[in-house]
Amino acid sequence: MTGAEILLESLLAEGVDTVFGYPGGSIITVYDKMYSYADRLRHILVRHEQGAIHAAQGYARATGRPGVVIVTSGPGATNVITGVADAMVDSTPVIVIAGQVGNALLGTDAFQETDVVGMTGPIDKWTFQIRRPEDVATAVAKAFHIASTGRPGPVVLDFTRDAQVGIADFDYQPCRHIRSYALPAPADEAAIEAAAQLIDDAERPFVVFGQGVLLSHAEDQLKAFLKKGGIPAASTMLGLSALPSDFPYYVGMAGMHGNIAANLMTQKCDVLIAVGMRFDDRVTGNPSTYARQAKVIHIDVDRTEIGKIIPAEVGILGDAAEVLGRLTERIRFSFHDEWAASARRYECVEQEKVCVPETAPAGGPVNMGEVVARVSELSGRDAIIVTDVGQNQLMGARYSRFARTRSFISSGGLGTMGFGLPAAIGAKTGAPDRQVVLFVGDGGIQMTLQEFGTIMQEGTAVKVVLLNNNWLGNVRQWQELFYGARYSQTRLLNPDFSLIAQAFGIRYRCVEERAELEDALREMLDSPQAYLLDVHVREEGMVYPMVPGGRRMDEILLNKDEWYRDGE
Amino acid sequence: MENSSMYIISVYSENQVGLLSSISNIFTRRGINIESLTVFPSEFPGIHHFTFRAITTERAAQQVVGFIEKKVEVVRAFCFPDNATSAAEHGILADYLKNRNQ
Ligand SMILES: Cc1ncc(C[n+]2csc(CCOP(=O)(O)OP(=O)(O)O)c2C)c(N)n1
Repeated sequence: MTGAEILLESLLAEGVDTVFGYPGGSIITVYDKMYSYADRLRHILVRHEQGAIHAAQGYARATGRPGVVIVTSGPGATNVITGVADAMVDSTPVIVIAGQVGNALLGTDAFQETDVVGMTGPIDKWTFQIRRPEDVATAVAKAFHIASTGRPGPVVLDFTRDAQVGIADFDYQPCRHIRSYALPAPADEAAIEAAAQLIDDAERPFVVFGQGVLLSHAEDQLKAFLKKGGIPAASTMLGLSALPSDFPYYVGMAGMHGNIAANLMTQKCDVLIAVGMRFDDRVTGNPSTYARQAKVIHIDVDRTEIGKIIPAEVGILGDAAEVLGRLTERIRFSFHDEWAASARRYECVEQEKVCVPETAPAGGPVNMGEVVARVSELSGRDAIIVTDVGQNQLMGARYSRFARTRSFISSGGLGTMGFGLPAAIGAKTGAPDRQVVLFVGDGGIQMTLQEFGTIMQEGTAVKVVLLNNNWLGNVRQWQELFYGARYSQTRLLNPDFSLIAQAFGIRYRCVEERAELEDALREMLDSPQAYLLDVHVREEGMVYPMVPGGRRMDEILLNKDEWYRDGE
Repeated sequence: MENSSMYIISVYSENQVGLLSSISNIFTRRGINIESLTVFPSEFPGIHHFTFRAITTERAAQQVVGFIEKKVEVVRAFCFPDNATSAAEHGILADYLKNRNQ
């Protein structure tokens, strides 16, 4: 069998049924062989390789299975770089197979040769150059093992032409063991014991959980832990939907634009239990002022995260599901009713000062938050919400309500504009039975707009809500607040999106008045096909509350002139 | 600010193309200059021993070690001040490899 066929057989052996990609000279043999695999392996032809990797990320986040990308060498490989970096920081399992020139041409600046190993090594979990056909199957097996175990991440296989066309025997053995790569071991007993003791002694314990809960499928363990300990909990943006929004102990999202309760309770708790999160500065503000009063228990599968930003009183290295399960057995049944109920007070303030004006304004232009909240209601909290980056993302995170896990997909750590549209395609491809709704800005949609072509060709029924404010809204907000309203290069002159939709054969409707919103949203959600809903939102909309960068997490702006004052 | 001084970062790893550059990148990204570098086969079959000397803080050195150990091919990494020597690391590594090879 040729190396190219071994690759395809190995993918099938790993249970892959869908790949995202784009052909070219250095991968053409793989595409040639793929022709005979059309009945077993679905290939989604994107319009730009960045689209392929973000789609694979969306697929992985929606399904929990690694996303697979196939691209050519040179520009094909460099075009996926942004997505590799994004998947790394957001712990997303993706496997990139990039064509490479023949072995004899490596290092000669041959046509479309580029140093993929050198470029991707610092930003992925593992890179390997396959130079011989007999190494293909083991490389693929290792790639799946590495991408999906421990802290998941992207893996890049640089697949030379010699390895593609050369002949070897096919014998696929899944990889279970790599000498230098240890899988998460059971957590240290003494650390569990110490943590349980701290939790039992706490008066105001608080949990902040991140995507680690989703990655380790620890949703049930988290619920049981919170119930037994009577512990209120907040989510990071990437942890959203791991708990249902109406879960009794859930107090909302932490971070720069998070909920007041989540941030204030972080600054008031006496024991902070961080689960599968990495204290991004969008969560901590100024780290030297973050939860200084609290003893911190940090549970993570990645040793380098523990103590990296926030010193941990007790660090527990391990898988979230296992650790939470064992902690739940250890801790006492507790109630912290008064403490847990304090969240309600903060919620009231936030409702009155921020949420009601945003989602139920008396008049004026449509607000972003209002659109998100209506989508959440009308879709019965059941949709997968995908966002791009910017105000659309923050509003999507703030005003979506979730009933099911794995229902929020967004570029967190890298904050990649252009992520949204292809990620939504990937999510819908992986979860065809679920409604997939994308919130995207007029800036971000134009970064990967070409993927409407993929939607057209594949018939992917994603519902795109364009929150159109004619600005690079998030940057405009910073300019208004911190740069004296000097709007440097943030005004956008936009194309006629109705013509764009028409060109790609995608249903389109524009909403300019509040009165049309509900009807248009229903039409969009009911549509069996893709839909672009262009909502003209308030141009100078702002996302609040906001903890300005570098501040303490209880220094919260409620609007342009008003800081949150505790005890009122 | 913590004081900077010379640290030795000692890395045992499978020898794979590209690994040295991605390890040295871990230093570069943090603005740490590598003062000297040696690579030679270790006494363990198939495992190479890299030693880096760099002026940095204890905390940064520990972090670098953590990130180096995250590289899939790296078996173990250690750091210690230049004035200390560690015979212990050989024992730790021998035990580790014995367990992993079983
Ligand atoms: C690739 C990339 N370039 C630049 C940025 C910086 N950035 C963050 S938000 C933003 C504005 C986004 O504007 P738009 O897409 O219209 O969304 P809005 O904030 O208005 O919802 C920019 C430019 C980024 N995050 N990603």
